[in-house]
Amino acid sequence: MEDEQTTGQSSDSISIGDMLPSASVVGLIFSIVTFAIGLAVGYYQISSEPSGAIFSPSMLSGSVICLISLLGGVLAVWHFVKEVNPYIKLGQGAALGFITGAIMVILTAVYGEVWSFIDPDYTDKLVEATIANVEAMEMPDAQKDAMIDSMASSVRQQNSFLTSILWGIPITGILNLLTGMVGVKIFAKKEDEETF
Amino acid sequence: MSRFSNPILYFFVLCLLWFVLIASLGEMVWGTAAPGELHWSEKLFFDLCHQLPDRTYTAGGTMMAVNTRCFGIFFGLAAGWLVLPITGRYTAGNRWPVILLITAITLQIVDYLGNLTELWQNTNHSRAFLGALFGAALSITVSDMFIKSKNINS
Repeated sequence: MEDEQTTGQSSDSISIGDMLPSASVVGLIFSIVTFAIGLAVGYYQISSEPSGAIFSPSMLSGSVICLISLLGGVLAVWHFVKEVNPYIKLGQGAALGFITGAIMVILTAVYGEVWSFIDPDYTDKLVEATIANVEAMEMPDAQKDAMIDSMASSVRQQNSFLTSILWGIPITGILNLLTGMVGVKIFAKKEDEETF
Repeated sequence: MSRFSNPILYFFVLCLLWFVLIASLGEMVWGTAAPGELHWSEKLFFDLCHQLPDRTYTAGGTMMAVNTRCFGIFFGLAAGWLVLPITGRYTAGNRWPVILLITAITLQIVDYLGNLTELWQNTNHSRAFLGALFGAALSITVSDMFIKSKNINS
């Protein structure tokens, strides 16, 4: 049955509307996963004593979240190939990756906004915990101050709705655009090569 | 025989990647931000990069917007994409680009975990180098998608 649905489909007929379900499903799952990891690690850091370690829990989770986010483009293409049309073109895979990245950023910002109603003090507590951890580090004061400014500003901006969306979409989108192309290479079926 | 395909997509992505690379240079190129404010280029990358000052290249009191590993990745991506029309001719039908990509990813993880567990200590240069390897491998992996083979029937 599935074969019957996909046989004879052409990549020329793929529109943005066709991509949205795959982008939304993957974006929804990935945004929930990354937000949950960020939140869990954030509360862990808030409840922990400052260790002074350069690799704080939130920094580690940031690296993990970054890597997970980049897989969105690949998996969106996989989902699209499996459920919608196996003959997706390179450019269409790139567009699908970008849209998936954008949806992830938007949904993560929405969750952050919702969480700010559930726990209005979360951001402030996380900033305090971050600063306390940096202050416990053994390094020159000037370097420490620069680090505190940078990290505190980052935490605050990550929890600001519009800023998160406006500044988050371009880079996350571009990187998922690339991984979307990798997804096309791995999962898409090739239409006939041109014959001259 | 082969020919280059998807030229518009290639140039579009090339522009995007070089924009990302130049933006990642941060204050070094774009001037410093007002006191107490994040530079616009730092805002652009804060979702993806921890931007720790001691893990970031600095020059003359100014700092890049991303850490050395991220800078390496962006540099590798942009440089790899630039030479994609050439590398694509050598990657079509070969497995080595995928092996290179898997190797680069593995090296990233091993280096990260080794440093984390204090088995060794990586440096700004080593992080940038491994990042560049990963970025270039990613570009090279998709390069054959831009080369279309022509089957000439006599």
